[in-house]
Amino acid sequence: MNPQIVPIHRKESLREDGMLFVRTEGILDTMVKLPLLVASMIIVAAVMPIQSSFSSPRILDLIIYPDGTTHVSAKVDVDPLATDYEFDLFGNTIDNFVVVGENGFLLNTNVIGNFAIIETFGSSVITIEYDIYDLVSKQGRIWTFSLDAPSDFTLLLPKNSAIVGMTNLPINMEIINDQNQLTLSVGDTEIDYLFSTNPVVTNHVVSDISILQTDYFTYAIVGGIVAVSIIGIIVIIRSKQKTVKPIQIQQSAQKIETIDAETIFRLKPDLREDDKEIVKFISNNGGQAFESELRKKFLQPRTTMWRAVKRLERNGIIEIEKKDLQNLVKLRKNMEKEE
Amino acid sequence: MKILALFTIFVLISGVASTSLVNDAYAQNDPNILLRIATQADKQILNQLDSSFDDSIPPKIQKLYEKGHTSVESLKNSLPDNIEQAREDFLSAMKSFMQITKIISEPVAEVKLATSDISDRDLKSELNRLDKYFQSLKTVSEKHNTGIDFSEIEQLFTQAKQQIDLGETREATQTIQQLESSIHEIKKKIRENASNSSSDRIKKFASKHLIKIQKILDRASSVDSEIPEIEKANLLIQEIKTLISDDNISDAKKKFGELNKIVKIIEKSIHQ
Repeated sequence: MNPQIVPIHRKESLREDGMLFVRTEGILDTMVKLPLLVASMIIVAAVMPIQSSFSSPRILDLIIYPDGTTHVSAKVDVDPLATDYEFDLFGNTIDNFVVVGENGFLLNTNVIGNFAIIETFGSSVITIEYDIYDLVSKQGRIWTFSLDAPSDFTLLLPKNSAIVGMTNLPINMEIINDQNQLTLSVGDTEIDYLFSTNPVVTNHVVSDISILQTDYFTYAIVGGIVAVSIIGIIVIIRSKQKTVKPIQIQQSAQKIETIDAETIFRLKPDLREDDKEIVKFISNNGGQAFESELRKKFLQPRTTMWRAVKRLERNGIIEIEKKDLQNLVKLRKNMEKEE
Repeated sequence: MKILALFTIFVLISGVASTSLVNDAYAQNDPNILLRIATQADKQILNQLDSSFDDSIPPKIQKLYEKGHTSVESLKNSLPDNIEQAREDFLSAMKSFMQITKIISEPVAEVKLATSDISDRDLKSELNRLDKYFQSLKTVSEKHNTGIDFSEIEQLFTQAKQQIDLGETREATQTIQQLESSIHEIKKKIRENASNSSSDRIKKFASKHLIKIQKILDRASSVDSEIPEIEKANLLIQEIKTLISDDNISDAKKKFGELNKIVKIIEKSIHQ
């Protein structure tokens, strides 16, 4: 080690009054560089948003039509000093491609595969519109929209469509003319949707009403038919009431035949508590109940109740019958004998 | 100077901070929409399961549905206080429902939509798209003062709409074809008309751009006058100026492309 080299701060000591003296050359150097530093920071601050805006669309709106075709509308900031701008398309099967400059003038374009070269020549903002067939696919009843979006975007779904799955969080959702419009964030998005038929029924009702309002004669005929049919139904019900009585007696006889809940619990001690509740309800209901009644009573989803019923059937406690397209759940009468 | 430096730093920091704040606020826009979407999806999936399987739902789907439904229930409980949990629940529910839809749709081959592939064409959608396209062109045409008469096309649109409403598919298809060719013709006319105004625009742009390029070339010459591309670029500038004065815009545009490529090479060699 060279003994002559001694650090300056060790060589100089603080004076008694504690005042610190510093070399002024460094300060002078910094003072000269400071304006440069400030100027460069201002330039960086100014250029940062411009750079980011050139790279992705400022506005991106998508509309999905009922046949799965998607209309794309994008507003992009471009370099006003560039002669052309290369724009990435979302696919290569496109139609109705129009690019307009900031003053509403049509710009020349050349679409090559997945991108378009747009002759901007001094434009700073361009609007691009086209229809694309590549973003939506269909499997059975399910339609799937998928896109790797370069920026946040809005997506207007077709009328009567219902979302049944999606891969990322929506930023917002609005209803525009009975259509769902989602605002989604940049990146990969996949949305599954299908068409719900319910609103179509509403439209029919509306159109029927409008016809009735305009045509009083038709109204009278329809009213007459409805009145006659109501009278007919009442007559039929009254005439059938006489024959119903013996069936009711038969049903009450069946009630007596069914095994009571306590016996079932004795025979099946391992039964789950929630299953016991179902058995109790069926027993109190005369030994039988529709699955839909059980769902309403226990406020269970369809599938959960269906599993419970299947479990009871496997245990030999109940049997399932189809009645009026519904599941009728009955307590088994011969359970005790089997045991 | 110190104040200016501090001010700049403050502007930079506040700028960065404000953008992040804006993003956060934007991302948390009404979390109840998550519940609306998830609940709607739950109902739709249940309807689909009912119509597809009645009461004999395969165990795999059953399990997925229960997972999704539980997530929807959890989402209900998470809102409005626990937004982070609500987001997780939403994604979990939608993922489960999506898996169900994939399984339900498995036996049917995927149909990628393409113009020629659509067997059952939705004429209403086609007409709406065409109308949107036509409206864009009409606006451009008005901007260019082309004086094109659109009444015939507008009549065709009304006719096609009526035919679709009446279920006259064949006639509507023919009218739409007619519309497509008419709109194509209009676009051609607008383009021809626009070429005059665009040439003025290009001339203005060229004079500005050539000054900028000349400056780059002067700077490059002062750094290294031996760069062979400088001479080529100077020649191209002269050519472009002559072409523009002769109103030969299309050739000028081509030369501009060449010039831009050469300027990029020169800029690279200066920075090396």
